Amino acid sequence: MITAIEAVLLLFVLFSALATVVLRDVLAAIVAFAAYSLGLALVWVVLRAPDVALTEAAIGAGVTTVLFLLTITRTVRPTEKVTKLRRIHWPGVVVVGLFAAMLLWTVPDIPAIGADAVAWNYSEVSQYYLDNAYKETKVKNVVTAVLAAYRGFDTFGEAVVVFAAGVSVLAILREERFT
Amino acid sequence: MSAGRRPYVESSVIMTTVRIVAPFVFTFGLFVMFHGTSSAGGGFQGGAIVAAMIIMIAFAYGIEPTRKWFFNAAVVGLVAGGVLVFAVIGIGPMLLGGTFLEYPLYGFEEATKYGIEGVELGIGAIVAGVISGLFFAIAHGFEFRRDQE
Repeated sequence: MITAIEAVLLLFVLFSALATVVLRDVLAAIVAFAAYSLGLALVWVVLRAPDVALTEAAIGAGVTTVLFLLTITRTVRPTEKVTKLRRIHWPGVVVVGLFAAMLLWTVPDIPAIGADAVAWNYSEVSQYYLDNAYKETKVKNVVTAVLAAYRGFDTFGEAVVVFAAGVSVLAILREERFT
Repeated sequence: MSAGRRPYVESSVIMTTVRIVAPFVFTFGLFVMFHGTSSAGGGFQGGAIVAAMIIMIAFAYGIEPTRKWFFNAAVVGLVAGGVLVFAVIGIGPMLLGGTFLEYPLYGFEEATKYGIEGVELGIGAIVAGVISGLFFAIAHGFEFRRDQE
């Protein structure tokens, strides 16, 4: 079962996610969202995905928050007195609740972490990577070996997509320079 | 935020912290890019760390002074150079008669490992350049509007 740390982390993530949705003030919602990302980064560490955690902490909690902050400085804060919390739209809650229930319904069918008898453990391709990655590439991290050697062409596409995204943002902002 | 307030407030605590932390974080970013071959990490993660640090510097020292230091040619050089590094490493083996990214054709010891590290460095440059460039591009409009008010 889950440990106390995991339980606290999951509760924190859940609470900050709810706060992001419910808070009326955009600035408060952004701060709550940053807290959510940081909590999620810690969850990735617990799930032993440190590389995902690094990205989540840097991009999710850091860069995204800063970009959101820069964006809301272009908006105006409502001056009239408004309630602290957003009014809950119940039909929306029902729809989202049903969708979440459907997703949660599939959870018991997911094999436990580290379970042996699952289909992908016996997939020929993954077995080949696990058996031969170090021999063929001399790289200890199988993920990196698959990413940059076996599937290197896909990764090249991925890198070019990031490049294209940067160019598109300049085009949309009608700028010719980044800085 | 009122219109008259300055968007940037100097804080010697933040400036000193960032000044001390920056070289370590940049080194760590490079480490994560290179060390992706031996442990968790890689170009995407390392690039994100470097970009986050550049944004932190802009926060501590103000966006305008950072913009002067991190000039446009540097950003474009990072982004385009990263794509170029990846493409050249990939196409090299094709010129030697193999397929795209067929590292062993380079012929030296552990060519695949060093090839992958080069590729990761290229990816890191692209990611670091695009993310920090995105920040400056969006911040540009922000400061322009400030001046108008």
